[in-house]
Amino acid sequence: MNRARGGGDEEAPRQNGSAARRRGDPPLSDGDDAGSDFGSADLQDTDNDPSLRREIRSKYRDLISSVQQNREDMLSPTNNRLTEVLEEANKLFKDVKQAREAALDAQLLVVATDLGKEKATQLFSDGAAFDPAAFAEHLLSIMGINRLEDAEDEQQNGSDGYLPQDAWQRVARKTECCFKAAPSFHYMFGSFHAEPPPPKQRIERQRKAPSKEAKRIMPTQLKKMDESHQEATEKEVERILGYLKSYYQDDPTSPISYYEFVIDPNSFSRTVENIFHTSFLIRDGLARMYLDDDKLPCIAPVEEGEVEAGISSNRKQFILTISKKTWRELIDALDIKDTMIQPPNTQNE
Amino acid sequence: MANRKRLSNTQSSSQARKHPGSSMTQEDDDDVTFTQPSTSQVQRGLEKVTEAQVEQKTAEVVQYFLVKEQKKVPVRRADLVKHVLKEHRNIYPEILKRAARTLDQVFGLKLVEIDPKNHLYILINNLEPSDGASPINCPADPKRGLLFVILSVIFMKGGVVRENVIWNLLKKLRVDPGEKHEDFGDVKKVVTDEFVRQRYLEFVRIPHTEPVEHELRWGQRAEKEVSKTKILDVMGELHERDPQSWSQQYREAHSSQNSTQQPGSSSQR
Repeated sequence: MNRARGGGDEEAPRQNGSAARRRGDPPLSDGDDAGSDFGSADLQDTDNDPSLRREIRSKYRDLISSVQQNREDMLSPTNNRLTEVLEEANKLFKDVKQAREAALDAQLLVVATDLGKEKATQLFSDGAAFDPAAFAEHLLSIMGINRLEDAEDEQQNGSDGYLPQDAWQRVARKTECCFKAAPSFHYMFGSFHAEPPPPKQRIERQRKAPSKEAKRIMPTQLKKMDESHQEATEKEVERILGYLKSYYQDDPTSPISYYEFVIDPNSFSRTVENIFHTSFLIRDGLARMYLDDDKLPCIAPVEEGEVEAGISSNRKQFILTISKKTWRELIDALDIKDTMIQPPNTQNE
Repeated sequence: MANRKRLSNTQSSSQARKHPGSSMTQEDDDDVTFTQPSTSQVQRGLEKVTEAQVEQKTAEVVQYFLVKEQKKVPVRRADLVKHVLKEHRNIYPEILKRAARTLDQVFGLKLVEIDPKNHLYILINNLEPSDGASPINCPADPKRGLLFVILSVIFMKGGVVRENVIWNLLKKLRVDPGEKHEDFGDVKKVVTDEFVRQRYLEFVRIPHTEPVEHELRWGQRAEKEVSKTKILDVMGELHERDPQSWSQQYREAHSSQNSTQQPGSSSQR
């Protein structure tokens, strides 16, 4: 039994609640020995009073939680809080009759003895006392703390002053000498990869190729378009020239009436087209128009030899207007039954 | 000339070790601390391999150690055998011996077994530390500063400290384990996980505490890598006291550190 032990309390055996309670206190009497046989619970009515039991248990729990929560406080060598707790527990223990309360008592003792052990270690190793708080202050000055004049700047971590960015690095630098740490091994320049460049080149070449082809395609298409337009007109003009020549050859002496030549009694639009195409012939000097005896215009192809002469002579202009009404009048007047220029779609080629 | 490393202690495969991997220099072929069977097996094994193969394996082991040491995680013998030595495990002691020699002569690093039971190895700096700040001008790792603070408090308080003491101290230094810190991130994780894995600290649960509490001690790596006398020197400077005034710590520093102290480095011997 550790009754007489003074300060140096190590792991107190946790058997009897009473035994380990001595911490330099005068031995307590009375209910202690009775407490050592809590295995045999009295079954008297007063002992079984539930409310009393609850009360005792609740007080024990309070004691336990107060020890746990005020641990730092109790550890401080300046007070006797721990002793007070134990005296309190002693008093409670007098009323303990059942196993449940005894278990709580035991739990309280465990907690208290742990604390006691720690207090004892403090005593032991504080032969040369070390105060972490003072240590912290010294470290802060090493870190280069800036204590601000304004106490209002509370947002910086709650206490005055703030630490520079490299605070911890300063500490590390200063204390490097304490470590025999192996420096980390790293390759000096690292490995290099030869891979990235080639893919880039491939990509560029591929991009260039399609664009050229695309351009090539464009011009060919366009040419066809243009040609089709021009071709159509030219072909038509050629065709009309062919008609003109064949009619002229059939009967060179008989003049071809211009109107009879161009008018298509079946279609006004075709007539206009014919006039349009025939004008090219005249412009190019491949046909000529003249007025016959009746002052009606006639048209005749130009002979091969006369072509150049025709161009150099003074040019005359002839403007022709035609409307649907005029067109019908002409048809009636000239009694045009059939078109001399066949529409191109009906031809077989 | 070459210091045969403390390495020789680490070679016997499964036999009980006499010295916990601390500093004893030994002659190469004096297999006094070796247990016999492994040596003869080694001899036989050596006959079956070419010198080139042995050198190759040695080089691989050296590289393995160097890379592992980047993260400061100790190397397990089992891993070494499984990943590097493979079919040459029977000549393991010879290879390890050569590797230790290379590490010392080429890199100035000492191969140390910090855990004889589980066969864990680390590398520490074998060169004499220079006076004053290190000539290498690389930015110091802030975690080293944190580690110093924790280790020194533990040491000054007798070797064991409840975790709350550390947390409270750190709070005074503007490091709150509940908040993310600029340099350290999750401080609690760094202290209780990273430093523990690196074997700088031991974070042990205290039984019967509710809520659960832990205590912190020096880890196996710290025992080998950190100089208690130097810590006392720094403390003396900080507090403007004579290191000897902390009598208990002073005694502790000089008794346990005798074997691992660098000769002629500190003024207090």
